[in-house]
Parts: sequence; structure tokens; C-alpha cells
Amino acid sequence: MHGGRVRRFHFARDVEEALSLLAAYGSRGAVLAGGVDLLRSPRGDVEGLVDITRIGLSSVRETGGGVAIGATTTLSGVLESQAGHDYAGGILPEVLRAVASLPLRNMATLGGAVVSAHPWADIPTALVALGAEVRWQGEREGRSLVEELYRTPFRGLFRSAVVTEVRFPPWNGAFAYEKVGRTRYDIALLNACCGVGVEDGRIAWARVAVGARPTRGERLPWAEEALVGRVPGEPLWNEVRRLVEERIEVGEDRRASGEWRRTVAGVLVARAVARAARKASA
Amino acid sequence: MKISFELNGELKYLEVDPGERLAALLRRLGMKSIKEGCGTGDCGACTVLVDGRAVRSCLMVAPQVQGRRVMTVEGLGTLDDPHPLQRAFLDSGAVQCGFCTPGMILVAHELLTRNSSPTPDQVREAISGNLCRCTGYVKIVDAVLLAARWKREGKWR
Ligand SMILES: Cc1cc2nc3c(=O)[nH]c(=O)nc-3n(C[C@H](O)[C@H](O)[C@H](O)COP(=O)(O)OP(=O)(O)OC[C@H]3O[C@@H](n4cnc5c(N)ncnc54)[C@H](O)[C@@H]3O)c2cc1C
Ligand code: FES
Ligand code: FES
Repeated sequence: MHGGRVRRFHFARDVEEALSLLAAYGSRGAVLAGGVDLLRSPRGDVEGLVDITRIGLSSVRETGGGVAIGATTTLSGVLESQAGHDYAGGILPEVLRAVASLPLRNMATLGGAVVSAHPWADIPTALVALGAEVRWQGEREGRSLVEELYRTPFRGLFRSAVVTEVRFPPWNGAFAYEKVGRTRYDIALLNACCGVGVEDGRIAWARVAVGARPTRGERLPWAEEALVGRVPGEPLWNEVRRLVEERIEVGEDRRASGEWRRTVAGVLVARAVARAARKASA
Repeated sequence: MKISFELNGELKYLEVDPGERLAALLRRLGMKSIKEGCGTGDCGACTVLVDGRAVRSCLMVAPQVQGRRVMTVEGLGTLDDPHPLQRAFLDSGAVQCGFCTPGMILVAHELLTRNSSPTPDQVREAISGNLCRCTGYVKIVDAVLLAARWKREGKWR
């Protein structure tokens, strides 16, 4: 029960102080938010922990149909906020209730989830599907779509920069989230986050992301294209299910076979798209 | 480093190692209700309340509770005068070896503080991250529902 070689603990007073402490420690310092990930898998090289939970980065704001969430907002904090609740057909509560259990959601922060970005995690799949943008402060201010950030070696960046906010854009439609795990508390064997907008009885836009394949959640642009312009309903959901089964790239690990993931991916996408369409039309 | 925090209503001001886990500190202070089942956040045996919210003390370092209110089961009731939530666990036969019990009770405490009328499914959801190897969970759910009824009847303190 020991935190490795940690020698110093600092409560940063603001982002600037956090950055200068990180700079002083070099590779031997780490930002501590909820600590769930950092303390579960302690980095043996960390000597200084810089706690950023008391610098005013915990807030959830509505932004013209979108929502802006401060990096140190706990997952419970997002779940309990009105703005988080109302966004895009209630997608955030759907996703966050699927994450771990209540005590872990009371600790884990959204910023920590962006940076830890486990391939099996629920949140990265949703961030990518929702077109979320992450903002940070380092030597310079930076911002990037999470989808693009995840194509870069982002973990190195956050050794000397602090995520300050995650912004979710407005969507004229709704999203739904599906996850399969062995138990309610288990991590995903596979997950899918899908959204659609319905106009004049047809699908106007679609977003489809599948994660824990076992690689991190990514969009399936060909599945999105197959949905746009079509009439929502059972025949289309069946078509999408078959298409995903045919084309998705999946792998196997000790938790599930590739064959199983291929079949279940089709089912999860079809279910999520159908639910999103029902919500969007309601 | 020195930290100060409230433990079960008593102010503590003491020296901690910055990397010391909260679970280890609390046991060092005599709070033996806290168990280390896994040390990785998976079992719930180390659950405590910080500012009224259930957290895993094995995944926190001691300095994180600076200025906060920490509660363990020792702060809830005593052998002679158990809290109704503890009494409900006893009356329902929800305790066998007892290893998981403090964590279960504290998670239930947070649930019932915010919702005195949970459905059985809400209780199952709340305790879903706390493992019990003995009871099969049914009696734990019964206990939480009984405690909720007592709370609605004004029998909580
Ligand atoms: C037992 C367990 C079960 C889990 N189950 C699930 C699950 O079912 N689904 C799921 O999606 N996830 C799950 N997770 C992952 C969890 O959601 C993340 O670990 C958590 O969100 C991390 O947040 P944190 O605030 O605790 O991060 P920390 O542990 O504080 O930090 C994690 C990493 O991010 C860095 N960091 C944190 N915040 C910032 C910031 N603002 N700027 C720069 N760097 C930062 C830290 O330096 C560290 O490297 C689980 C984790 C555990 C331990
Ligand atoms: S010991 Fe903390 S969750 Fe198991
Ligand atoms: S009573 Fe033994 S683990 Fe729950």
C-alpha cells in the first residue's frame, strides 16, 4: 500500500503553478487529478505529485446547445449537472453510468479519462463519436479534436501540459451508447457510441464509433455514409448490422475472440443507431 | 509533510509520507474496518466517505484529504449503539465473514443520504463495485432496503 517513490505532494494554486512545478520535476513529476489511474498503476519514476483538483477546473457549463466541462470535474459531477444531463439526448449519463462504480466515479475526472485513454474504456469512444474538443495549457495554449489528438503521441504532451477543459459541440439529434461487459462493473469487451439527426423522415447525419475492439474507440466513416439520406427503421438497422460485421477491423485478446467481436459489433451499432434515431425523432 | 483533516468528527493534524495511501494511514490511525482486498480499486473493501462521498482509500494518497471530512464505519456507530444501517445488516443476515461489510455500509450510506426510496435495482447498482464472496448479495440488498424504510420512518439519527 505505498505510492512508489513519491517524495513531494503539491496542491497547485493555479494552472501556471502546476506548469512550473511540472517543469521543475521534468519527467519525475505527474499531474494528479482523481488519482484513480495514477495510483492503480503507479509510475515508478514519479517523485512529485501535482494535485490540480483545487484550481477551479471543476465545472459544467451549457454552451449554446453544447457543453463545456472542466478537466477536474468528477464523473459524478458531470452526472449530477443539468447541462451534462440534457446534452445530445442524454448521452453523457448513459456513458458515464457504464463507467466502473459509484465510488470510482466520485473520484475519476473527465480530464484524467481523456489522458489515460485506455483502449477498453468507455469515455474515449464517446468523446470521438461526439466530436469532443480538448483544450490544454502548456508552454502554449492548445486545442484539438479528441479524435485527432488520439492519432498523436499525446501522453508525452501531458507530461508538461494540463488539460483544462473538454468541449462538446451541439448536435441537432441524439446519441446512444451500448456496452457489453461480463458484469455491470466489468470493463467493456466491446462498446459503441452512435448518433443521428433525423430530418423530413430521413437520416441527415450519422456518427458511429466502436471501441474496445480491443483497440481504442474510432469512428467508422463508411458506416456513417451508409446511414445518411436513408429512412430510419428495421430494414436499415439490419443492413448496418451486416455491413459492420463485414467491414469492421477487430482483434482478439484474452478477453474475447475477433470472431465474437465482429458479430457483436454489428449488433451493438445497430442497437445504438436505432435507439439514437428513436430519441432524435421523439 | 503535515496534513490536517477531520476523521470521524475529530480533527487530525499529523505527519504523513506524501506517497502513503489513505487506506494505510487510516489503518495506522486504528481504523481497522478498512481492509485492503485488492489495492487496485476493484473490490470496495477499503471504501470510506470523503465529504460524504464514497471513495476507494487504496487509490488515494493521504495528502488528498487535506481539509476534508473523512468517515469510516467506526464513525457511524459502535457495538453497543449501532447505526440503523448497521442494525439493518445484522437483522437481515447480511454479514457473514464481514470483510466486505464496512465498504457495503458506506456505499449504502451515500446512496441513502441522497435517495431514501431506492428501488432494488438502484441498490444493486450502488453496490455493484463492492465484492462479497460470502452472502450472494441478496441479503445485502434486503438490508439496504430495510435501512431505507427505517430512514423514511424517521428512525435514523
Ligand atoms: C478499478 C477501475 C475501473 C475502471 N473502470 C472503467 C470503466 O468501466 N470504463 C472506463 O471508461 N474507465 C474505467 N476506468 C478508467 C477511469 O475512468 C480512468 O482511470 C479515470 O477517469 C482517470 O481519471 P483520474 O482523474 O483518476 O486520473 P488520474 O489517475 O489522476 O490521472 C490519470 C493520468 O492522466 C494524467 N492527468 C490527469 N488529469 C490531467 C489533466 N487535467 N491534464 C494533464 N494530465 C492529466 C495523470 O498525470 C495521469 O497520467 C477504471 C479505472 C479503475 C482504476
Ligand atoms: S482494496 Fe481498495 S478497492 Fe480493493
Ligand atoms: S460477508 Fe464475507 S465477503 Fe461479504
